This record gives sequence, C-alpha cells and structure tokens, in this order.
Amino acid sequence: MLELNNQYTRLKRQVHSMVIKSFFAGTLEEDIDKIPFWIIPKDAATSRCCIYKERAMIRYRIMALLGVNIEKDDDEMKPLSEYYKEVMKKEILATPVITTISTACSSCPKDQYLISDACRGCFARPCYVNCPKDAIFFSNGQAHINQELCIRCGKCMDVCPFHSVVHIPVPCEAACPVGAIKKNEDGIVNVDYKKCISCGKCTRSCPFGAIVERSSLFTTLKYLQNDDKVVAMIAPSIDGQFPGTLEQIKQGLLLAGFDEVVEVSEGAAITAENEAKEIIERLKDGEPYMTTSCCPSYIELINRHLPFLKDKKSDTLSPMGYIAQMVKEKDPEVKTVFIGPCLSKRIEAVSLKTVDGVINYSELAALFMAKDIDVREVEAADMGDTSEFEDCRDFAVSEGVAGCVVHRLQEGQEITPMYINGLDLKTFRGMKIWPKKAPAAELIEVMICEGGCINGPGTIVSPKLAMRLRSGNVKTPAKLTKRK
Amino acid sequence: MKKKDKILVKICVGTSCFVQGGADLLLYNDFLNPELLSKFEFEGCSCLGACKKVGGATGEEASAPFVMVNGKLHGNMNPEKLNKLLMEEV
Repeated sequence: MLELNNQYTRLKRQVHSMVIKSFFAGTLEEDIDKIPFWIIPKDAATSRCCIYKERAMIRYRIMALLGVNIEKDDDEMKPLSEYYKEVMKKEILATPVITTISTACSSCPKDQYLISDACRGCFARPCYVNCPKDAIFFSNGQAHINQELCIRCGKCMDVCPFHSVVHIPVPCEAACPVGAIKKNEDGIVNVDYKKCISCGKCTRSCPFGAIVERSSLFTTLKYLQNDDKVVAMIAPSIDGQFPGTLEQIKQGLLLAGFDEVVEVSEGAAITAENEAKEIIERLKDGEPYMTTSCCPSYIELINRHLPFLKDKKSDTLSPMGYIAQMVKEKDPEVKTVFIGPCLSKRIEAVSLKTVDGVINYSELAALFMAKDIDVREVEAADMGDTSEFEDCRDFAVSEGVAGCVVHRLQEGQEITPMYINGLDLKTFRGMKIWPKKAPAAELIEVMICEGGCINGPGTIVSPKLAMRLRSGNVKTPAKLTKRK
Repeated sequence: MKKKDKILVKICVGTSCFVQGGADLLLYNDFLNPELLSKFEFEGCSCLGACKKVGGATGEEASAPFVMVNGKLHGNMNPEKLNKLLMEEV
C-alpha cells in the first residue's frame, strides 16, 4: 500500500474541505462546478497530461464525495450542481462503498516479471535452473522471460545474484486480498462486487486514485445543517488521529455541530462482556473455536467467501451496534453518526438500521479544516466517567479485542487466543482450510486491516505515530499532547 | 552544547498541517540524520497562519504542512525535505 500521506491524499482532503466550507456557507450549488477551476488554475503545475484532465479528476473526486456511483451514473454533460441537487433530496447510505474512475485508471500492464539490462548472462544461470515452467531463454547473451509460459512465481527474482529481475505488479490487484479486482479487456480496473469485501485496501493502493470511496458524508452534513439532534459515535481508533487529546477531539466535534459525543468503546465493553460468556458456552457445547465479529469486512468475507464460518463467529453485536442501540433507546429521534476508519462499517450500518450516518477520519479532518477548528487549541471537553470501558479503546489495535474478552472471563476460566492480524491472499488461503484443519486456538480475533483499525483505509496518521500519540508518549514536541 | 545554542524548529500541529502530512514530521527522531538531532530543538506549535493566507492553493511552497526553522517559514514539507533543509542550515 502507498504511504498514507501523498500528493493524492492531500489533494483529496483539500477538495473535501473546500466543498464542505462552501456547503456551510450556503453557496455550494453555485460554487460546485467552479471548484475544479479554483483548485487547478490556468498556470497550475500538473502531474497528468494537462490541466483539463486534472480538472476532470477533481470533478470525479467531488462526485465520489457526493456519493455518486461513478461507474453507473457518470454523465459528463451533467453539471455537478445537478448531482448535488439530487444528493440533497436523498437520504440513504450509499452502497457499494467503493466506486471506480475509469478515466483515472492508467490501465497498468498485467502483473509481470521482466529481466533488466543488469543481467550478465552468467554461467551458473540460477534463473534458468530454478524456473519451474522453463520460461527463461537466452538471446544476445542475456536472459529473457517468455511471458506466455511464466506463472509469476518470482523464483528467478529470488535467485538472481545481480538483482536483474524486476517485478512489476498491478497495485490494486496486488492489494486486494480476495481477488475481486480484475482488468477488463481494455486493461481498465473493474471491481467484482460479488467478491468485494469493502476493506478499502485498493483505495489506498492505486497511485492514480482510480479506485475511490463512494462517500456518504453529505448524509451527515445535512443532519448537521438541519435542526436534527446529531450524536457522534467515535470509534476507539480516533485517539491518535488528530493533534490534541481525546477530550479535545470531543470538543472539536461539538464545535463542528454535533450535539453529543459518545465513545464506541462503551459499546465495545458490552461486546467483550458478551463474547466472554458466549465463548465459554460454545466450548461447553463442544465447538472447537469461536471468532470475533466486530470487523465488518470480516463479516463480508464470511458472507461472500467463507460461509462455513457463519456459525463459528460470535452472535454478539459489534461495539457500534450496541452503542447505537443505547443512544436510540434514550432518544429514538436523534441521528446517530459513526465516525471511524472504516469503509465497510457503512454496510453494517445499512443492515443495523440504528446508525444514520457513517463518516471516516479523513472526512472529519476536512470538516475540521473547513470549520477552522484547531483541535489542539480547543478546551478539553468532559468525557464523563469512562472507567467501565476505558480498556476497550484497545479494540482499535490488533490483539486488543481478544485481550478485552480474555480480561472479562470469570475466575478459573481460560481460553487460548489467536490473531488474524490483517488479511492478504496467503492468510485467506489459510482460512479456507479451517473446516478440514481447525485452528489451534479457541478464540480467534479477526481484523482485516493489518495492525487493526488504526490502519484502516479512512485514517490519516501512520499507525506507528498513532500508537505513540495514543499512549501519550510522544516525548517531544513536549507541548503536542496536553495530557494530564 | 547548551540548549540555547540549538536552532529552533517549530513543527506546525494545527489541524490543517497535521492532517495534510505534518503528522509524519513528528516522527523526526526516526527519520532525521542523527547528527542533526543534537543541533536542533524541536517543538510542536500552533497554527502559524500561513495556510490561511494562501487560501488553500496548491503552490509548491505555499501549502501545508509548514515548518518554521530559525524564524523562517517553509511550506509543503515532508520528512526528506526537512532532512535536507536542516542539513543546509547547519
């Protein structure tokens, strides 16, 4: 995957904050078609062929933010203001959560291994000897690969003493853990939504920004603008995503227009409590193992690829499920908005019906920027009594969920945990054989993003820094974290 | 070397700078040439106001994240550029 912060993500956030600013100023309908021109003015330096294509790309970024299904509903003759008017009339959470921009796709050539000029045509010829398909041949004193025979196993690359073999991957295909991305006959990206688990890894891997999140931000923006009472439900991973403390992030949200802020960790405590009971009962009933169920992409993985796990995953609701229930029980009229790092949470939200909006940290950052909210400078809000569920903020990190469950077992009870820390093709293959060979553990924690939610597709801070900010131990700059 | 002899590097941690890549700069202990660490003093600072002046345009130098070295403002910063900049400064 790409680094979190690159030219593309920065531009995206700039576009987002400009759109949001104009929305709250009440001028978006007239501004929206001009924004591509404001961001890419006549003399702008371009990375693509020309400013016109750059502007077209900005247009698509705005469409994705509006939640338009670009594959289906792209009409170049239609002004953005028309799309905007349509979005303002709708009140739905859009799925699928991913959409592709074919114009942005560079139609990268097929995944391949090539032998570069660094090849010395050596005498030992390890590439030739080790190739299982006899795809290597020599001409003009150098090795070459017959692409028709090559199965892209990479053995030649491993053994070449001159590092002359290069692997040219297709970033989106390589990032997809379930093989849902395939090129069409023109080489343009094509997502097979029957296979897609909405993990969002592809949105973070395409260096052209051709696979994007189809946002639902406007659903939330409308709540904020209307007289609705809006409750922000902040995921455990939010700590460390912004400068300042959790208390200040809460205050920032209140300033941004949310009426109340609750921690999803509070729901996580119930999830952990119930899973601790559930696993003991299941083991008593003779079941070999149980998996966690809080990762929505994992649920998608079960539904679309590994149906045998349906009765192996816990029946417990996710933290978001419980907290939304609690909020709605108190006041059914409020609008609940989940703020997290995840794209697939929106799929869960649609099935739950207690969650009215889902936005990610990147979008929240744009909202803060648009509203000129400097998180580090605001007063600390009161988080209330968090002692009951504080430890469940660890749900955001790999091993944290299982840790919380184990912590809630009765005295004398014991279970062996195992962790699926991030899904890739290899782990996926490993999971497929579980019916034949049950994993050697009783509680299996599954997180589709490596490292946990702090590495989700909607994050803005590298997991390494986020971990340090979370524990409050970024030593210097001393004034960064105003922790007690 | 006494602390006051060190050159001050202010890393902006205003929301705009932080979310636009400034956060990465806070890992300076990991990416800067170790020799530099003893010669500079680092601190996180509030918004320097520079991002607002340019109205969010994508100029090469005139965009977040910003860093102030020895009183001079530098925009569009990233770990590699900061390393180079500080090497030139000493």
